[in-house]
Amino acid sequence: MRRPNLTLQNPILRRLLLVVGACLVALPAATPTLGAATAQDEMQIDDQPGYVPNEAEEHLEGPLERQVVFFRTNEPPGSIVVHTNERFLYLVMENNRAMRYGIGVGRDGFQWAGQHKISRKQEWPDWRPPAEMIERQPYLPRFMAGRPGNPMGARALYIGQTVYRIHGTNQPQTIGHAVSSGCFRLVNGDIIDLYERVPVGTRIVVKQAPSL
Amino acid sequence: MFRSKSADRMAAAAALFCALSLLAACAGGPDGPTPIVSAPASIGPDALVGRWGLAAYHRDSDRPRTEAEAKRQCNNPYNITRGPNGGLIMHLADVAEPQELVLKGGPGGANFLGLPGAAGAPEDREVFAVSEKSFSVKWVNPDNANRYGMMIYVRCA
Repeated sequence: MRRPNLTLQNPILRRLLLVVGACLVALPAATPTLGAATAQDEMQIDDQPGYVPNEAEEHLEGPLERQVVFFRTNEPPGSIVVHTNERFLYLVMENNRAMRYGIGVGRDGFQWAGQHKISRKQEWPDWRPPAEMIERQPYLPRFMAGRPGNPMGARALYIGQTVYRIHGTNQPQTIGHAVSSGCFRLVNGDIIDLYERVPVGTRIVVKQAPSL
Repeated sequence: MFRSKSADRMAAAAALFCALSLLAACAGGPDGPTPIVSAPASIGPDALVGRWGLAAYHRDSDRPRTEAEAKRQCNNPYNITRGPNGGLIMHLADVAEPQELVLKGGPGGANFLGLPGAAGAPEDREVFAVSEKSFSVKWVNPDNANRYGMMIYVRCA
């Protein structure tokens, strides 16, 4: 039996090596980006203090709409689980179910992972734009008392003693996206719903996508 | 020259339309009240020069805590300086580049702050309650006023 030619003189082998080489170069670009959102992934939108969205704008459809879903987890019912890369927040229920909410994730929301407790709740929270936003929009007030149209939205749930929080928004179009400001945002109807369901002391677990 | 009655009626209707259009133009537009020709303001620009903690509120009940919060914002103050033409270097609503604005007097002793020109122009803000320690403003443009509410400046140390 004739032995196969496994040297580079074999045209078939040469072509195969070329194809493999091309794939190795292209693969990193084709692999979905994992980990924290980059500036390129962020939705480029400034906060709009005072803007009050209408009912149609606040209506979410499809996967982002609040709904009960199948959800397996080791976290006990009543816990909150946030998957930042998926842009979903889950309120764990009995029998492998969860109430799932579509969220927008601000840069702060990508900064940490772990578990905490909801330390306090507030209706119509106040808004304090971050320093980098003031730098871009120097005409902004450094503090705005909470009310409809406030960028912090209708409710806020504060996480431990950290600066992180789950809050509403006056920009419903940011749900499902990474954005520059804030932490975890829900449309006002959803944050009000969540606010009513979770007491102070609720366990919250934040999960980031693994970074390679 | 012979003129028909219908031509006379058309001419009269056109004259009436022009008169009504002129009146409508004088009544003001969607951006707010008609600007009043500027008179000297009752406050001098030096009263507004300085470093200020800047905060905003919409409900009167929020004013006391907003004022306290404005003081806390002196770690990132809003600076008002004199301009080369005697005005004040400040920002218009939603405009990142500062411009030289002037104080203008309006009817009833009202004071407005904005670009040179008529007092109470849509891009102006009305200035209230000026003291050594603070002053407040409200935008003339209803959209700006609705979004930003009453803005209070508290002097920083």
